[in-house]
Amino acid sequence: MTTRKLFVVSAGLSQPSSSRLLADHLATATARELRARGEEVEVRTIELRDHAHDVVNNTLTGFAPGALREVLDAVAAADGLIVVTPTFRASYSGLFKSFFDVVEEEALADKPVLIGATGGTPRHSLVLEHAVRPLFAYLRSVVVPTGVYAASEDWGTGGGKAHQGLAQRIDRAAGEMAALITMREPVTVADPFESAPSFDQLLG
Amino acid sequence: MQFGIFTVGDVTTDPTNGRTPTENERIKAMMQIALKAEEVGLDVFATGEHHNHPFVPSSPTTMLGWIAARTEKIILSTATTLITTNDPVKIAEDYAMLQHLADGRVDLLMGRGNTGPVYPWFGQDIRTGIPLAIENYGLLRRLWREDVVDWEGKFRTPLQGFTSTPRPLDGVPPFVWHGSIRSPEIAEQAAYYGDGFLHNGIFWPFDHSKRMIEFYRKRWAHYGHGAEDQAIVGVGGQIFMRKNSQDAVNEFRPYFDNAPVYGHGPTLEDFSRETPLTVGSPEQITERLLSYRTHFGDFQRMMLLVDHAGLPLKTVLEQLDMLGEDVLPVLRKEFAIGRPAHIPDAPTHASLVAAAATENVLEEVQS
Repeated sequence: MTTRKLFVVSAGLSQPSSSRLLADHLATATARELRARGEEVEVRTIELRDHAHDVVNNTLTGFAPGALREVLDAVAAADGLIVVTPTFRASYSGLFKSFFDVVEEEALADKPVLIGATGGTPRHSLVLEHAVRPLFAYLRSVVVPTGVYAASEDWGTGGGKAHQGLAQRIDRAAGEMAALITMREPVTVADPFESAPSFDQLLG
Repeated sequence: MQFGIFTVGDVTTDPTNGRTPTENERIKAMMQIALKAEEVGLDVFATGEHHNHPFVPSSPTTMLGWIAARTEKIILSTATTLITTNDPVKIAEDYAMLQHLADGRVDLLMGRGNTGPVYPWFGQDIRTGIPLAIENYGLLRRLWREDVVDWEGKFRTPLQGFTSTPRPLDGVPPFVWHGSIRSPEIAEQAAYYGDGFLHNGIFWPFDHSKRMIEFYRKRWAHYGHGAEDQAIVGVGGQIFMRKNSQDAVNEFRPYFDNAPVYGHGPTLEDFSRETPLTVGSPEQITERLLSYRTHFGDFQRMMLLVDHAGLPLKTVLEQLDMLGEDVLPVLRKEFAIGRPAHIPDAPTHASLVAAAATENVLEEVQS
């Protein structure tokens, strides 16, 4: 059996980071759902702040330095992507966008993506629908219907209503994500040189 | 093995004193650099072609003609000639004329080059860059090889009974290299015709250049021109040196930090690790340039960038002196060691004339 690869991107900037916390919850729940469907799962999580300089360098020079190259290859090879951004000025953070600006466009086509965001107030919750979902729609990803937004109050301890609500949303999103992944063949990455046109084809 | 330098002709402010050369100063400086290249024993001088600021070399054959008149040995080339937006008829005529004036010391590097806005200035569209490169070059080849051409294509007006003039010197067209950073289609084109492929990966990681060159070698063999290791490969490099390596780093850093292309991005150290850029003592430069063979196999031409980012003319001329005295002799000696006998040299006018003569003799014998 092929192991399913989940790649998790947290764009949280502080440490500890609530975006990372949400990303971990989403990853754990998705892995659990996949295993419940009989899949082997491998989870890898990165924090974009570790690659922030490389991302900027890539936008300036046109190529990804070694460590970032390896991350971009892993993104392309993943069976599913979990992405979480903090809400900045009513949208994703600039670093989050810059990262997806350097991911090859085709790399995310038909890839299930579970979107999450964090913010200080529940009034930002539509950031997922008006900013994050359109970005991945443009990249032709298959975005999980349930996006998970977590405001400060959602993290309330003691099992209150808000906390239960977040846990339920995470589980529902994870179930949808696992279903989208299992209905697809495991991802294989094509070699661009293998598919390059011959000169006869170029002459048309 | 040929060693050369190429200029992109950028007019860049010197970050150490805030001074920007005039266009005239920069153009004259490029000419001094070309003459110096011959003086220190380099094999090739090449100029880029640009039609947008801050670059000045819009008219390569004018520049190369001036250099041809003042030099004896050095091969004059381009880096690159825009096969997309130039008229292939004009390329055929301009470079045949240059070939006569330079007594054959001419070859070309074809490239698509250009940023999006440049194409419309010449009535073209960057989205058709590859088809333009394929069609225009196909026509260029015929103009150099057939005395009378009837031709019709998609991109330029048809030709009826056209003869490109002057005819190539000794009936042998200039050798052509093709350059592309990312498009396997162009490596495929070079392989198909048995032309050279020059990967100028000076802003790119070695791994990337290696994959492009390996692809070209494989396709070259596929089209029956010879074994993979006999394909005609050129590579780009970028160096800055001083006797003492720390002096080189200290002097080059402000130019690096403010350079077009990578300035205000990666550190000099990061960029030197990832790409062919090498800053240090002549010994360090020599060692790094020799290491290209481990990445690319035996190749035919190495082109170095030494005059960009606002470096003053005096500094560039000093670089060339050091290159000629301390680096070049060791490179020539070391690259020759262990180079298998079946690996060809880069074609020159003389070798192409000799090859054509052999072909004629064979044809006569057969007929």
